[in-house]
Amino acid sequence: MLRIEGMAIERGTGSHSYRVALPELTLKRGEVAAITGPSGCGKSTLLEMIGLILTPAQLHVFTLGDTTAVNVAGFLQRDEQAPLADLRAHRLGFVLQTGGLLPFLNVRQNIELPRRINGLVTHSELVDDAIDRLDLSYLLDKTPRQLSIGERQRVAFVRAIAHQPDLLLADEPTAALDPFQARRLFELIIDMVQRFQIAALLVTHDWDLVRDCSIRNIAGVADNNGNNQGTVFRDAA
Amino acid sequence: MPPDARSHWRLLIELASRDLWFDRMVSLCIMASLIAVIAPLLLLFGLKYGVVSQLRDNLRSDPRNLEIKMLGNGNLDQRWFDELAAHPAAGFVMPLTRSLNTQADLLRDNQHFAADAEVIPSDSGDPLLQGGIAPPQSLQDVVLSASAAKKLQVQRGDRIQLIVRRKLDGRDERGQVEVKVTGVLADTAFSRPAALVTLELLIAMEDFRDGWKIPLFGIDTGTAQPPPRKRFARARIYARDLDAVAPLADWLQQRNIEVSTRARDIEAVQAIDRVLSLIFAVIAWTAVIGCVASLIGAFLANIDRKRKDLALLRLLGFRRGAVGAYVMTQAVMLTGFAFAVGFGAYLLGSAVFNRALGANLADGAFVCHLENSHIALAFVSALLIATLGAGIGGFRAIHIQPAESLREI
Repeated sequence: MLRIEGMAIERGTGSHSYRVALPELTLKRGEVAAITGPSGCGKSTLLEMIGLILTPAQLHVFTLGDTTAVNVAGFLQRDEQAPLADLRAHRLGFVLQTGGLLPFLNVRQNIELPRRINGLVTHSELVDDAIDRLDLSYLLDKTPRQLSIGERQRVAFVRAIAHQPDLLLADEPTAALDPFQARRLFELIIDMVQRFQIAALLVTHDWDLVRDCSIRNIAGVADNNGNNQGTVFRDAA
Repeated sequence: MPPDARSHWRLLIELASRDLWFDRMVSLCIMASLIAVIAPLLLLFGLKYGVVSQLRDNLRSDPRNLEIKMLGNGNLDQRWFDELAAHPAAGFVMPLTRSLNTQADLLRDNQHFAADAEVIPSDSGDPLLQGGIAPPQSLQDVVLSASAAKKLQVQRGDRIQLIVRRKLDGRDERGQVEVKVTGVLADTAFSRPAALVTLELLIAMEDFRDGWKIPLFGIDTGTAQPPPRKRFARARIYARDLDAVAPLADWLQQRNIEVSTRARDIEAVQAIDRVLSLIFAVIAWTAVIGCVASLIGAFLANIDRKRKDLALLRLLGFRRGAVGAYVMTQAVMLTGFAFAVGFGAYLLGSAVFNRALGANLADGAFVCHLENSHIALAFVSALLIATLGAGIGGFRAIHIQPAESLREI
């Protein structure tokens, strides 16, 4: 469903340059993988490249989808912003560190937004199911500022999958939560992603959580290649 | 964004308006800065236009301001009159006899008469004939000025005597003809006692005074029948409008005809117009420049404040142009509301001005007034100014990267 080969980017210049590389990654539908590594190793940079908002310096293969797979690499290499924006709208879902909800929309409107951007009808059984499972029904008419961080993250997750994207990208979705809430959200995401057959990449620095949930771990390890410092992300053993 | 442009725009407008309502205090501040410029400028321009157009209307309503008086007598043939009538600045042209022959006594009875009243030839199109009064049609028709009618105590349909005197072979003679009053001019049209008659009657008066035998006046003396009149000493000349007075007077002076006009009065109004226009322009440009600077600052600050939300919209799939359109849509909405409120303030202010300062004016007169075309022009200008201010903010907005929404905390 997601296939990437030879993705890399170099940040900074001279002795301060830093390389982030992903030699190979394949994700199937319903599969959840964590991107882990120490702070500053390039997890978010990698997520931005996979999220089509940062153009990699090097990219051999990047396809998204199954029967209607799109060769994303071409758009990225040509820096074609309009089709990249369309791909983000159609095929990707994002969960940010503190939700990233629009403050001027209530919970229901925030959840419906991706479907409206994609020209879909606002009502969806998948969304209703997700709202029930994540116990969000009583929050639908509230505004984001009336929600706790944990509630915002749950709403943001439903919004991220509302338009049934191919790939869910979450950037440290549990960073602002206490360990209990973090574990609960993680489990909910894994359960829902598998239920709705979406591939998911979750950036986190919480190794314990990844291990306890038994999900695939793509770990960033130091890659000191000559003068260049950097991180290469590979499946951890 | 979805291919369906209509639903795309509907969503964009809905989001933009919800955002404005959510940040209503900031929206109110931006609107207030617009209203603070729009309302005073509308009032100022309304006053300028109202005062100047009132002065111009006053000038226009007095036909004497359109009149070009010939000084002295000439020898004007039909070709000259045709050429003058064809001049684009000419409004009304009528042959006139020598000045001494344009007077007569008007008599109703021994108690009611007007000595040496002016006798003026008239025809259709005469600027003195205001309010639908028809020109005299026959030798026995006269239209009286208001003061003449008052002196004679007559009204439309009454009959009076028109008396012309001459000295022939050393004897004083008095010719007279009974005429019917077919109309009375408005007070404002002509202040002195006067009778508007057909050109034929005026020519008959001059011929009578020149010693010709004119049976119309009831006297058999004088030299047989006068030859047909081909030349005239003077002319009644009126310009098409106020702006045409000066060019028409110039045209006559170039032909060595001395004339007098009320050009000084017209020039005074035009000078007032110019001075008020200059004052208005200086104030307006100062206000507009201040408004643009304030708007640019407000929109830039607002975009910086909303940077994360705009980045999030980009992350969710809004294209760059859509984010720019989002900012511009908000500017148009704010300007629309601000203009509506500013226009309301103008209506209120103009009503106060017209009531307080226009008390001495005639019915329907105004001190502060704008035409619909002015309002439309002001609205379009306000939109242009606001979109110019917002455009700079929009330019910054379209360069917001979706990645900015990820890098938080």
